[in-house]
Amino acid sequence: MSAPGTDPFAAGTRSDPVIDAEVLVIGSGAGGATTAVVLAEAGVDVLVLEEGTWVDQGEVTPYSLDQMDHQYRSGGVTVAFGLPSVAYTEGRCAGGGTEVNSGLYRRPPVDVLERWRHDARIVDFDPDHLAGLADRVEADLSVGPVPGAPTAASEALRRGAERLGWIHDEIPRWMAYAPGANADEGVRQSMTRTYLPRAVAAGARLATGCRVDRIEMQGRRARRAWVTLDDGRRGCVRFRHVFVCGGAIQTPALLQRSGVRGNIGSNLAVHPTVKLAARFPEHINDPTEVPVHQVKEFAPDLSFGGSASNPGLVALALTDQWATFAPAVRDWERMSVYYAAITSEGRGSVRSIPGFRDPVVTYRLSGSDRELLRSGLARLALLALTAGADTVFPSFRGAPAVHDRADLADMNAAWSAARASVMTVHLCSTVPMGEDRATCGANSFGRVHGYRNLWVNDASLLPSAPGVNPQGTVMAFALRNAEIFLADEANGATRG
Amino acid sequence: MRSVRSHLIVSPVAHDLLLIDLPALPVDRRHEVVTFACRRIDHLPTPTKVGVLAVAVVLRCLIAAPGGRRVLGLLAARPVPLLGEYLRLLRSLTAAYVWEHWPATAPDGGRA
Repeated sequence: MSAPGTDPFAAGTRSDPVIDAEVLVIGSGAGGATTAVVLAEAGVDVLVLEEGTWVDQGEVTPYSLDQMDHQYRSGGVTVAFGLPSVAYTEGRCAGGGTEVNSGLYRRPPVDVLERWRHDARIVDFDPDHLAGLADRVEADLSVGPVPGAPTAASEALRRGAERLGWIHDEIPRWMAYAPGANADEGVRQSMTRTYLPRAVAAGARLATGCRVDRIEMQGRRARRAWVTLDDGRRGCVRFRHVFVCGGAIQTPALLQRSGVRGNIGSNLAVHPTVKLAARFPEHINDPTEVPVHQVKEFAPDLSFGGSASNPGLVALALTDQWATFAPAVRDWERMSVYYAAITSEGRGSVRSIPGFRDPVVTYRLSGSDRELLRSGLARLALLALTAGADTVFPSFRGAPAVHDRADLADMNAAWSAARASVMTVHLCSTVPMGEDRATCGANSFGRVHGYRNLWVNDASLLPSAPGVNPQGTVMAFALRNAEIFLADEANGATRG
Repeated sequence: MRSVRSHLIVSPVAHDLLLIDLPALPVDRRHEVVTFACRRIDHLPTPTKVGVLAVAVVLRCLIAAPGGRRVLGLLAARPVPLLGEYLRLLRSLTAAYVWEHWPATAPDGGRA
């Protein structure tokens, strides 16, 4: 399908349009689309603004550089500065990160929810209620196991874990399959396939190619949003309430540009990952799919899984030690890329700088993070060897090729976190929610502390990195907060 | 910063790095890869772009000096702070592009 609805900023309306909306939702990813559908289906007049464009599924090849050009911010080349720096990616398109990620789904872990409720003092926060909301998300997005046999790269993960006696499981995905379809024939149930069309059908307006430069404040109220359209026109949106749902980097950056102070942007949490390329005797590479198995033996500290592994990404995984690893690239069909992700103690920050369009992002790994990355990479290499890999190529400068268990000692000796290619796709906690104003940027329902009508409803709210793919958690939170907003509006009350 | 084009600063270094890493890469492909790398650097977030271009200027001057390419080769083979990070970025962009677009490429860049 193509972009639904009528662009409220369509050329010809006026040169510098002014639009009114009861509720403005900034961002159309997991948080924004969920917020929009709840409010629109309740009859609220909703306008959704998305900085990126609408890209139909199938228009670009998944996990390709072309996709990065069209659907990622800065072509996917974004980095949190530190030693080492942590590369990250953000979706920048209608549907946000849901359009570009692997579609793997995890429920919010109950122990994590309990910890968040206690530590951040989140009120009216019932894990059983969250579980009910997760049920709805799973039904709406057709979350389920992948039919048929897993890919060879996924099967290798399962085999290695089985032989080592490590806990592993298959992760469900939000994909829809026709009866009898194979694993590679699913249709991703991303926001452009689910909540955004539903929101528009319920009356929401969606404008793509529309960047919000700042939100104008007056005392404790947000008054209007100033926007720049892709064609260069400026515009203004007036609203009663605004939900900022731009993700864990763009949400605090916009709030800071708008003069909002407090705990905004200072608590960035991520799941840092290191990776390796494993070469097997047989053909294992599937350029269009990602493994669905994950190894959770050492969770929540450590998780192992598989990454997209088209030939370009295999080559990329070898570049840290190109002088010695380059010959392996001719075997890319026998190779797949795997990762070790950690639950990090480190923290980062997002800071807007006047005169710069983009914020400065930093991340500092703790000492135990560095040790966890080292042990994670070593265990991941062991897992790959046990699965049958003939050689493992770790992604850090100075890494040796690992052919058997005896080589793991050399790999450990050569390891340096500062030389590793550390990256992440899970970013959160930059406007953490809770009643503890000393540490939280928003209250227990996403309303920014100190403001009456300014809300956040995306991954920024999570008090810490959950240790699993956060999208299911983000959507359950977004459902909860949007429904509480509706209830309060109906009662004329404001909580927190 | 969006208006600052990096091509003049970045392309000579990217070109020379490709000659070191992938000496058999055909000329037309090398030009295509360099163009891609420059485009990606043009679209970096503004603070990152400022830092990258500052480092790029240093390397651009370095390779213009006699023996510059040899020094570039030494830097590319070692984990040198800042300068090495820039080369790492270029290398990752170029390798990803080459093997995504021409998967049958040999490790030296030649047609396999």
